[in-house]
Amino acid sequence: MSDLHLNFGAQPNERPGDDDAREARHQVLATLLGAYADGELPPETASQIDAHLLGCARCRREVELHAVVSARLSREPQVLASSTFRDRVMQEIAETRLPSAPRATASRAWWQSPRIGVGAALIVLALTAALSSTRWRQDAVRARPVSARVDAVAVPLFVAILDDYRRVMAGDLPGRARDLDAVRAAVPFPVQPLRGAGASLLAAWSTDLRGEPAAVLAYRWHDRLVLEYLVAEPVFFRHPGLRAPIAAGQLVSAVSSPQGLLAWAAPQSGAILVGDVAPDELSALRVGDAVR
Amino acid sequence: MTQSALPIEEQHARFQALVLPHLDRLLRFAQRRTSSVGDAEDAVQDTCIKAWLCFADLRDAEKARPWLYRILRSVLSDVSEKSDRRRQLVDITRLEQAHEELIGGDTDVVFSEVAARLDSEMLAKALTLIPEDFATAVELHDIDGFKYHEIAEIAGIPIGTVMSRISRGRRLLAGTIIANRRAWGLGTTDAQKPSARARIGGDRSAQ
Repeated sequence: MSDLHLNFGAQPNERPGDDDAREARHQVLATLLGAYADGELPPETASQIDAHLLGCARCRREVELHAVVSARLSREPQVLASSTFRDRVMQEIAETRLPSAPRATASRAWWQSPRIGVGAALIVLALTAALSSTRWRQDAVRARPVSARVDAVAVPLFVAILDDYRRVMAGDLPGRARDLDAVRAAVPFPVQPLRGAGASLLAAWSTDLRGEPAAVLAYRWHDRLVLEYLVAEPVFFRHPGLRAPIAAGQLVSAVSSPQGLLAWAAPQSGAILVGDVAPDELSALRVGDAVR
Repeated sequence: MTQSALPIEEQHARFQALVLPHLDRLLRFAQRRTSSVGDAEDAVQDTCIKAWLCFADLRDAEKARPWLYRILRSVLSDVSEKSDRRRQLVDITRLEQAHEELIGGDTDVVFSEVAARLDSEMLAKALTLIPEDFATAVELHDIDGFKYHEIAEIAGIPIGTVMSRISRGRRLLAGTIIANRRAWGLGTTDAQKPSARARIGGDRSAQ
């Protein structure tokens, strides 16, 4: 907000009683007075509003209203979670196995029951050993959804991303990792870096893909550079080549040699990884990103 | 050592230390968005399990609370599809008109006194009568104590949008309270007050 250049006073050519101009200024102010009352505006903007308030009773009343509402809400009593509920939560956590960690404390397993004979338990152990390799393969498939391969040139979004990727890779990166907050403020959807093993965020910037806003995150991954493009939902779901496999719970992959692309639906957005890497390898970058 | 490289017992201990202190607040936030305490507890429990499953993503312990709220909002958005909490249409025009009368000096109601008589049940009802996005931004700031940049992170919106949602949310909330004050037994006017034109706070001189 530090780049706000506002003028809340009367304009030089404004006639007394020019209600429309005054109302227009108040409409701009209306979005800021809450932040002013909460002390969340940069000093220069707050000073401008201070000056305006000296001569505007209406806005003074508005600021006072914000303070009254906020004070009343702040007095809402705390809710206390019962000890039963806390115990229930921790029990659930104890019984929930992390994706890459062994179970911490399992409740007593059924084969530990005295009602089950040792012989039966041995049979189960034998069956378990025989089936274990199959089960782990199934878990692995579940952890990594199968991707649907599409023709890169048939999806306009992929074509735009490949064009932008090649342009970016031909020069210096346009951003730095500490620009992430600025990128978040520039696009109307959440931007959360991937946490895949071995990946580190190098830079972030916003761009536009044929007129549509996009966030771009650059990762160093096994000494290679991989870019992640985030676009708004309407852009991501525009083409049937993406909609159909995503609806089926699949990732979408494409190859435009030497680049590989991997796409999936993210909260309020769509994510597309692109790099000089095969799409199957790119999926490793998504491991552990359960929230996304 | 990364989070996932810690022994499981240490991960449990760290999770408890970072998450359990926030259970009360998470539960209060969930209770305002569900129809029963049981539903709220289920939502918070789901939140904790999801948080546990992606605990390795939490790199900065200072951000545990907004991180948990972000997950809770995701869980609640699934729940709300099954709930009719906000299926009623919100008459924003009527609420804004009530707010305008308050701010423009067209009423003798002393808002601070009306707000002081508002109990928690009425306040919860008022919050359900304004659009969810506005109510959430206001609640996260005024009840849960988040800063604007944290709300932007929780809701996944630019900070400018947080500003406008909080400003408009409070205006609509004030309009809702004023529009419903008779039905909720909060009094009607305060014309007997010596400073009948001090409409927001009761002890200010005429402006």
